[in-house]
Amino acid sequence: MKKMAITITMLLIIGSIYAQTHSAEDILINADAVVNAPQDQEISLKMTLTDKGGNEKVREIKMYQKGDETRLIRFLSPADQKGVSFLSLPDDVQYLYLPAFHKVRRIASHIKNDNFAGTDFSYDDMSASKYAEEYDATLLDKTDDLYILELIPKQGVEKNYSKLKMWARQDNFYPVKVEFYDKNSTLWKLFESRNIKKNGKYWVASEAEMTDLKKQHSTKMIIDKVELDKGLADNIFTKRNLKRVK
Amino acid sequence: MRKKVFIIIGILIAIFSNSYAQADFSINGYLKTDNRMLTDDNYFTWNENQLGLKFEGSYSGKYHLYSEVRLRGFGFPETSQTADLQSKNKVYKWDLEFREAYLDLYQFGLQDLDVRIGRQVITWGTADRLNPTGNICPEDLEDVFNFGEQSGVNSVLTTYYLGDFTFSGVYVPAFTPAVLPSGIYASALSAPMEFPVGMTLRKYWDTIILPEQKFTESSQAAFKLGTSLFDYDLSFSYYYGRDDLPLLNKVIITPVDTLGTVDATAEMIYPKMQVIGADFAGSFLDVGIWGEAALTIPEKIILSTDLTALGMGIQESVALDDAPYCKFVFGGDYTFKNGLYFNAQYLHGFIHERGNDNLNDYLTFHFEKKFFNDELKIVPIDGAISVTDWDDYENNYGLVLNPELSFLPYDNIEMILGAFILDGKGSNMFSSLKDNDEVYFKAKVSF
Repeated sequence: MKKMAITITMLLIIGSIYAQTHSAEDILINADAVVNAPQDQEISLKMTLTDKGGNEKVREIKMYQKGDETRLIRFLSPADQKGVSFLSLPDDVQYLYLPAFHKVRRIASHIKNDNFAGTDFSYDDMSASKYAEEYDATLLDKTDDLYILELIPKQGVEKNYSKLKMWARQDNFYPVKVEFYDKNSTLWKLFESRNIKKNGKYWVASEAEMTDLKKQHSTKMIIDKVELDKGLADNIFTKRNLKRVK
Repeated sequence: MRKKVFIIIGILIAIFSNSYAQADFSINGYLKTDNRMLTDDNYFTWNENQLGLKFEGSYSGKYHLYSEVRLRGFGFPETSQTADLQSKNKVYKWDLEFREAYLDLYQFGLQDLDVRIGRQVITWGTADRLNPTGNICPEDLEDVFNFGEQSGVNSVLTTYYLGDFTFSGVYVPAFTPAVLPSGIYASALSAPMEFPVGMTLRKYWDTIILPEQKFTESSQAAFKLGTSLFDYDLSFSYYYGRDDLPLLNKVIITPVDTLGTVDATAEMIYPKMQVIGADFAGSFLDVGIWGEAALTIPEKIILSTDLTALGMGIQESVALDDAPYCKFVFGGDYTFKNGLYFNAQYLHGFIHERGNDNLNDYLTFHFEKKFFNDELKIVPIDGAISVTDWDDYENNYGLVLNPELSFLPYDNIEMILGAFILDGKGSNMFSSLKDNDEVYFKAKVSF
């Protein structure tokens, strides 16, 4: 009887520890899940590009996302970029529409690590993606409220980054900071999410900033308006819709 | 009666004000200047100032309208006497162009059917600027270096979407010819007229015979089927219409004196043709690749040379054979790790070339690198090489280089400094222009 009580106690303790300890992979999966939680998102945002001299350029963008793999981004301003649109589909399929050329162009993978329209985000960064599918995670540390992960590109996944370091909140797994390291393991870019608040049942960061530390250039995105789960139709995420300049 | 009129006006105002409130209209545009100078003798060849206005509106996602109008001052004063100075259009030439003006009707009648009606530029083909399968819109070759530019045409474009397939159909009721190069480049795309030995041309006139603007003569139609297969975008197309560049079909030679000096009167037409096309785009490893091919089936055109005034009767030869000929392009692009972008295309058959025996080979290439977050773009190497005779390529080649520097100091402002450097030997497009190296400065502000 005593033996059984000890066994049950041990099992309860182990179960309790397991329940409180997430593996690095779990944390990463949860981080992906919380960012891509809404079934769909329609976001109007302002992008401010700031160079090392403090000079600013502003872009207005409309972004549509469905699930965690399809995203359409359309530039509304400035005038010389109005209508430039980018479509990211599952299986790494990406299209770009440049109104001046009247053509929808499929993007080859060589351009995916290139900067997107002068911002500090690469085409790859702008795609709707899941870190857990592309990176292997290791839990480096835990602070009072954050998990600190190291992400290494999975074998066969071609990235411009040698590794990433991610800080994710413990309460909701939302990634608040990501450091991107170049192939020489030098810190290259820094991504930060701010003003993370509940919008309905979802967590949303209303401000995010990517800083290129080498160029001393940053791109800050501030959400003007966000609509979640409004039932975006599949045909928004098509080449047909891509060239509809609005 | 008066009351009824007021009620009707009131209803119309209510409808239109409601429509306007729901619609999303915008006006954008640009100001552009383009100035070019020959390097040899400081001769200015191009003086262009342009105001472009783009009107755009959409309504509840059901329709969308777009129009681009260009108001342009172009060229140099053409004044030779004081009376000309009284004409503003001779002192400062300007023109107005409706580049595009169309209406999009989305989900028109059917959920998966879109219709675009009006003056529009329709660009088919996956290649970069040189599209053998893009025959619907006429070439705009006014700026001979900006090849690939096309003018808009009045047309109806219907597109039906069915899963991964896209069916497009175009009808163009009226024929619009290509705009040809002007000024010192006027003869860039035309072969020199050949005369029998001992004969010298004094004057030349020509007449362009446009097809009658009626259904059976001027109409053009085209169809395209597009889909994706194994990560490649593919399309197959068919075009029925006319070549937009004129072809010589009649020449009358008249003697001026007994020394062999003659005058020539020519007549040019636009031959009918059919084009069966196919194209693809995708990537191989990390390299973007594309290709397109167009099998052209022209109507046979006989060139009649009237030498009766010289006692030699009328001689006939084939100006254009009806044997099908194929133009094609293969190209690729790649961005190196350091951000250097490279693009190259191999082209068989340039825009103006017709017939199996007249298609030449071209290689286009382009390197570019952007600096300072895209504020500075340097194109150190850009250009094309053509070879007209591979057996004697050293004496039959043409080369154009177009290095360029673009500076975008602020949003919406772009300044470009560049040059065209031409060289070549033998009879080809670039060698005929080899004495016309020029530098240019362009500036554009968008709003």
